[in-house]
Amino acid sequence: MRLLSSLLSASLLLAGSFAAKKTPTGRFDEFHAKSLSSSPVKLATSSYGSWTTAPRDYSAAVLLTAMDARFGCQLCQSFQPEFDILAKSWVKGDKAGKSRTLFGVLDFADGRDVFVSLGLQTAPVLLFFPPTEGPHAVASPDPIRYDFTAGAEHVQAWLARQLPDRPHPPIKRPINWTGWIMGVGIFVAGISLLVTASPYIWPILQNRNIWASISLILILLFTSGHMFNHIRKVPYIAGDGKGGISYFAGSFQSQFGLETQVIAAIYGTLAFCAISLAVKVPRIADYRTQQVAVLAWGGVLFILYSFLLSIFRIKNGGYPFSLPPFM
Amino acid sequence: MAVATQGASSGINGQNTRTLLRVSILFLIAAAAVASRLFSVIRFESIIHEFDPWFNFRATKYLVANGFYKFWDWFDDRTWHPLGRVTGGTLYPGLMVTSGVIYHALRALTVPVDIRNICVLLAPAFSGLTAYAAYLLTNEMTTSSSAGLLAAAFMGITPGYISRSVAGSYDNEAIAIFLLVFTFYLWIKALKLGSMLWGALCALFYGYMVASWGGYAFITCILPLHAFVLIGMGRFSNRLYVSYTTWYALGTLASMQIPFVGFLPVKTSEHMPALGIFGFVQLVGFLQYVRSSMSAKQFKTFVITVIVGAVGIGLAGLVGLTSLGYIAPWSGRFYSLWDTGYAKIHIPIIASVSEHQPTAWPAFFFDLNMLIWLFPAGVYLCFQDLRDEHVFVVVYALFGSYFAGVMVRLMLTLTPIVCVAAAMAASQILDTYLSAKKPNVEEVADAGSTDAKPVKTSGLRVASKPAVGIFTFVSKALVVGGMAVYLLLFVSHCTWVTSNAYSSPSVVLASRMPDGSQHIIDDYREAYQWLRQNTKEDAKIMSWWDYGYQIGGMADRPTLVDNNTWNNTHIATVGKAMSSSEEVSYPIMRQHEVDYVLVVFGGLLGYSGDDINKFLWMVRIAEGIWPEEVKERNFFTSRGEYRVDAEATDTMKNSLMYKMSYYNYHSLFPAGQTVDRVRGSRLPDQGPVLNTIEEAYTTENWIIRIYKVKDLDNVGRDLFSAASFDRGQKKKSSKKKGPRVLRVD
Repeated sequence: MRLLSSLLSASLLLAGSFAAKKTPTGRFDEFHAKSLSSSPVKLATSSYGSWTTAPRDYSAAVLLTAMDARFGCQLCQSFQPEFDILAKSWVKGDKAGKSRTLFGVLDFADGRDVFVSLGLQTAPVLLFFPPTEGPHAVASPDPIRYDFTAGAEHVQAWLARQLPDRPHPPIKRPINWTGWIMGVGIFVAGISLLVTASPYIWPILQNRNIWASISLILILLFTSGHMFNHIRKVPYIAGDGKGGISYFAGSFQSQFGLETQVIAAIYGTLAFCAISLAVKVPRIADYRTQQVAVLAWGGVLFILYSFLLSIFRIKNGGYPFSLPPFM
Repeated sequence: MAVATQGASSGINGQNTRTLLRVSILFLIAAAAVASRLFSVIRFESIIHEFDPWFNFRATKYLVANGFYKFWDWFDDRTWHPLGRVTGGTLYPGLMVTSGVIYHALRALTVPVDIRNICVLLAPAFSGLTAYAAYLLTNEMTTSSSAGLLAAAFMGITPGYISRSVAGSYDNEAIAIFLLVFTFYLWIKALKLGSMLWGALCALFYGYMVASWGGYAFITCILPLHAFVLIGMGRFSNRLYVSYTTWYALGTLASMQIPFVGFLPVKTSEHMPALGIFGFVQLVGFLQYVRSSMSAKQFKTFVITVIVGAVGIGLAGLVGLTSLGYIAPWSGRFYSLWDTGYAKIHIPIIASVSEHQPTAWPAFFFDLNMLIWLFPAGVYLCFQDLRDEHVFVVVYALFGSYFAGVMVRLMLTLTPIVCVAAAMAASQILDTYLSAKKPNVEEVADAGSTDAKPVKTSGLRVASKPAVGIFTFVSKALVVGGMAVYLLLFVSHCTWVTSNAYSSPSVVLASRMPDGSQHIIDDYREAYQWLRQNTKEDAKIMSWWDYGYQIGGMADRPTLVDNNTWNNTHIATVGKAMSSSEEVSYPIMRQHEVDYVLVVFGGLLGYSGDDINKFLWMVRIAEGIWPEEVKERNFFTSRGEYRVDAEATDTMKNSLMYKMSYYNYHSLFPAGQTVDRVRGSRLPDQGPVLNTIEEAYTTENWIIRIYKVKDLDNVGRDLFSAASFDRGQKKKSSKKKGPRVLRVD
């Protein structure tokens, strides 16, 4: 197989050099005309060879990708539309081909041999072939490889750096018409719904209990570290390495999603106990019920606070304070 | 609490006793607040802490020595070499001026005091004032007389505030939190009374706040928001109109007097809400006036036209001016509060600061302990009456907790409202259960039957029935006993946290010897002292920006970059010099006239805050400017690990930072046992080789290593061949490496 592939690539090179011998300039015009109709150009093994063989008097950016669902290449799927946008806006912005830059895509399904000959284990790979002839010629005909980050803008900036003194058409993202129409529609619908339903909504908006609960929920959310989860994208829960589940991250600087929910619930219950003791209990007119309520709320408060302290001791090993029963 | 339980012994005498008690309690609280911040002075000595305070200290010394006007025009050529910094116009002068005034006042009273001691003790002194301001603010919120005292006590000792105000932490926050709380108190006062005088006072303290801390934007956003919510609730009043208009007009003028702020209040988006609400208040005031002279129907049409028109014109104007560039869009630091992913992508220098990281829940509990669950209860109690000032507590609580969740540093702005709200909840509980009065069972039953439904539709559901009180002694004892336990636990928690976490000057490190005695690690000062005594007065020191202020303050030597990160490119230049190979770094260092390079290395001691751990940020910041020359990827192995041992990538091994950190490190250990104790990795026996710089000084525990940049060779060789020639004299075997050529950029 290896022999076969090396043979193939050798023959490719040969074929390429034959093609190259024709006229490099003519080649660019031909490819450019093709890319005007659909950019980036879909390549196959043979066309890849004719595009990239030296000598070239143009540059080419070729994305080697694997779009087939079999390969499950997440990055390929997400990068492809970005590359399409880049290629489209570049070719549109440079119809005359002044930058002499071509954009091509080679799928693994169409160009298995190219992948083999380049020794590629992973996809996607973006190769940039600098020109070997003409004013911008570089000494080495070898392609330059792009390290992936994300987004068409990054690739554009990278390409622009590879192509000094040539025009760099900016990225033009297509206007998301359906999105805009949907947005405006939803907005208008929402407004009209509000207007028609205002007799029903108004009392809800004026209800103090609802505002109080919304505020409390938000405060509990923020003080139990939800924003940390949101920014750091922490796992919801993690294993402890022994087949079990660890509910609490062992360090002071980290946390799990479930952990913060437990903490928010504890804070919420503690606050609720305090509210009950402060507001509800003194309004109970029957002294026996009141006694029971005080015992219940006070007991829950004490036990939960003790539990909270014991959780905090997991997070901070040297913490010296505790309350019974969770000593 | 003592005040609350004083009972109803009426008369002038009782009144006087109460006042006396209250004053003495407040003094005791202030004393406790000051005392709990003195751990570091007692344990170490009266010394300025950390990084930024060293700059403030240096600036204060300049102010005291040269007078106010020179300070105002100060151009500092000893930082950001060779650019310099217009220091007088780019700092918040409030802190320095405050200490300068105190210094001169004490001098006038013939108290011989050193400016350093004023700087060290300024933060504790102001924490006493903050406690008093919290007392005043809480008294505006509730009628309970004990709530204010509790809030003052909480404010005085809660670690969330102590973290930035221990003795020696001479930073803007030291006075800014007092100003923040006091400005809020004056605002509430102005709003309650509708008084122009209080509004003007509020503006005055707002101006002082602007002069002191960049966090003033918090006030600039909270006050308009409060006004807006009040108007939205249909609570527009002449009181609101007078207080807001007075505060905005005078406060904005006052803030524009600070050179660093200048015209920002009318140009940047952070300040636009305040301006917008100012216009909105005028509009609503005008409508109120028109309403009195129009029929209801006409008025409705009129209102709709005016509001739609005004909002439309205002929005269009804002968008237009922003897109034309007259109004700057949100500044990066501020913007990153809303779009939390923004800083990571666009501003590595902001993302690199640990204070700007989001807050995990243990940090909340660590800083606020039991207040964190009393806080929601207090906010809930505010909904009971929901007067204008209670709306303020709710708005502040919501935004404060959001900001504190996004950025660790903003825990500081959350703390005051947590103290106020928690004190309201705690005092409500204590007042109820400490009351000696026992409700009469029959009376209560009667009252329940007579006024069967005291309907209060707008109030909270739980508070719809009348309060009767607590019947049994057991209930009272249980709850009061529980609260006492929690409060005692809170006090011990605060003391423990303050003593263990927040009282280290971080210039001097403390560790324990095996026998339990304390061992002081004083490498920083040792190194800075060495620089002060052994280098030329104007020797330029290159280091990562974290240490710029300390070098300026303690070693008194010019630096390339410092903690005032105003010039990202200059920082990236230093990052590039640190992360490139010697061939690239040497020309950079020559161009910037660097004489010495200082690195922090914790490998020997296991000190994790060293430069190798910060190294990736240097790489990232440099990559932001020179993406072709510095690549973060090259510092990771092919398996994506950040390593320093034999497996490290070549780029890593050849970088100046790596070489400086590990130069000669292997000579400390027997062969094959060289260990980096921070990263827990075994290092190769062959250490890095330096050609263009030479080791000048290494401190006792190797925490600071100083290198001298070699001058050009005096026989005209490039430094690589000269260095390899020198080595060749000693060791023949290393000759095969061959000289490398100095690359000329």
